[in-house]
Amino acid sequence: MILSAVARIRENHEILSRLDSATGDGDHGTTMLRAMKAAEDTIKDNPDEKTSDLLYKIGWGIMSADGGSTGPLLGSFFMGMSEAVDGVSEFDSSAVAEMIIAGAGKMHKQSRAQVGDKTMMDAMLPAVDALRAADKGATVQEILKQAAKAASDGADATKDMKAKFGRARNLGDRVIGHKDPGSVSISLIFQGFYESFTN
Amino acid sequence: MKKFINDPVNLTAELLEGLEIAHGDKIAVQSEKLVVRATPKDKSKVALLTLGGAGHEPALSGFVGEGMLDVSVVGDIFAAPGPPKVLEAMRLLNRDAGILFVVLNHAGDVMSANMAMEMAEKEGIKVKMILTHEDIAPGADTPVEDRRGLVGCIPLYKIAGAAAESGKGLDEVYEIAERFNNNMATLAVAMNSATHPSTGDVLFDLADDEMEIGMGQHGEAGTGSTKILSADRTAEVMINSLASAINAKKGDKVMVILNGAGGTTLMELFIVLRGVKKVLDDKGIVIVASKVAELLTVQEMAGFQMFIAKMDDDLLDLWSAPADSPYMTVR
Repeated sequence: MILSAVARIRENHEILSRLDSATGDGDHGTTMLRAMKAAEDTIKDNPDEKTSDLLYKIGWGIMSADGGSTGPLLGSFFMGMSEAVDGVSEFDSSAVAEMIIAGAGKMHKQSRAQVGDKTMMDAMLPAVDALRAADKGATVQEILKQAAKAASDGADATKDMKAKFGRARNLGDRVIGHKDPGSVSISLIFQGFYESFTN
Repeated sequence: MKKFINDPVNLTAELLEGLEIAHGDKIAVQSEKLVVRATPKDKSKVALLTLGGAGHEPALSGFVGEGMLDVSVVGDIFAAPGPPKVLEAMRLLNRDAGILFVVLNHAGDVMSANMAMEMAEKEGIKVKMILTHEDIAPGADTPVEDRRGLVGCIPLYKIAGAAAESGKGLDEVYEIAERFNNNMATLAVAMNSATHPSTGDVLFDLADDEMEIGMGQHGEAGTGSTKILSADRTAEVMINSLASAINAKKGDKVMVILNGAGGTTLMELFIVLRGVKKVLDDKGIVIVASKVAELLTVQEMAGFQMFIAKMDDDLLDLWSAPADSPYMTVR
């Protein structure tokens, strides 16, 4: 599931950097590449690790990739997920939803941004809402599809927003017309999560 | 992009290698991202820690040394280092005397610092955090969270460093640093952009006949571009805002720093300083300490940061106390 997200980011890292050139200093794509490499390496190096410990190590590895605010935010997402699955053995749709919602919650504590602030949360919070609203009987694939759609729509919506956080905040109107690269990254990650269940 | 670099992926690692070769008598690079004193300070004294992205050389790591910083945690270019390395530095500096952790207000640095502080607390590491936020560009009523920390961290490292070196306890070092922190202000001006060495992108656009007051140290927008003013007029506009920001009155003593952003000549900075002194003389404000240098640069950006701080005899003694770091030495 995570390796699929890694692949999505890899494919799109140049787009992410280009978006960041308009709204920041142009390094978001390369930062995400480093973060995803850290995640991938952690998975490779810990083949038999139990899920909660693996997710924690991925979070810590991402934070070690030194990516400004991207590191702590994305790292918190994985650490939050790790906390939620401690002791969980059955990854049904309810467990997967809980896991992602917990990850988003931990990330949100660091971020403090709300929908409309033009940040990663513009993709993350709608995805969380979609997970919460999903049918009790839906499959993992179905809920991830809905979450990915919500995240993607959320990222699209950032295009005409002014930024309330981060370096982009100081650019005023110059960021209007450009999607927030962080929100696009989150959307790609959810896309990856969903796709890992369709192959 | 015209820079003397190799593969951009290795920028930080290579610059730190070079820094260590140049100043191995005073600093060492440990664990790839920690710049530490070559001869550590006595454990009975308060340690000084900071974090920040690379790309602003000599800041921040150039100020590790006796009487200043003990450890600087280095991130990627213009990007804060992650919590793991900061926590590693805290564990390295852990002592009963405690650590003063100086953090410049930028989103990534603050997030990383807060996470490291949380973890340090769990481990029982004694550390107090101080946040610098002296940028006045956003305006007088802007809350602290929205003000950036600029070059003011450097005189703060010197003053807090001297207090720590003299054996003062953590609470007193913090109190002195906070007093300085709350009575300082910086305003930047940009004349020409810089390029981000990793991406090759120009940080911002300015027309040939324009300058921008209030620009941040990663190219963040300031108060909007204006036509280029003379050095005297620029000095006047900026020092008026700054003096007003710290409530400097007739008879007050101040420190003034002109910090070159990397692409502006000392010639220009000296001319601007002359203009600054004229305005302060008219106001009856006395410059008791000054510095004109490239302390915290933004690659090859043309421009500078103008800094002012209220001084008293105690702060002046700390500013004048001996220090020995690669880019600030006081005998």
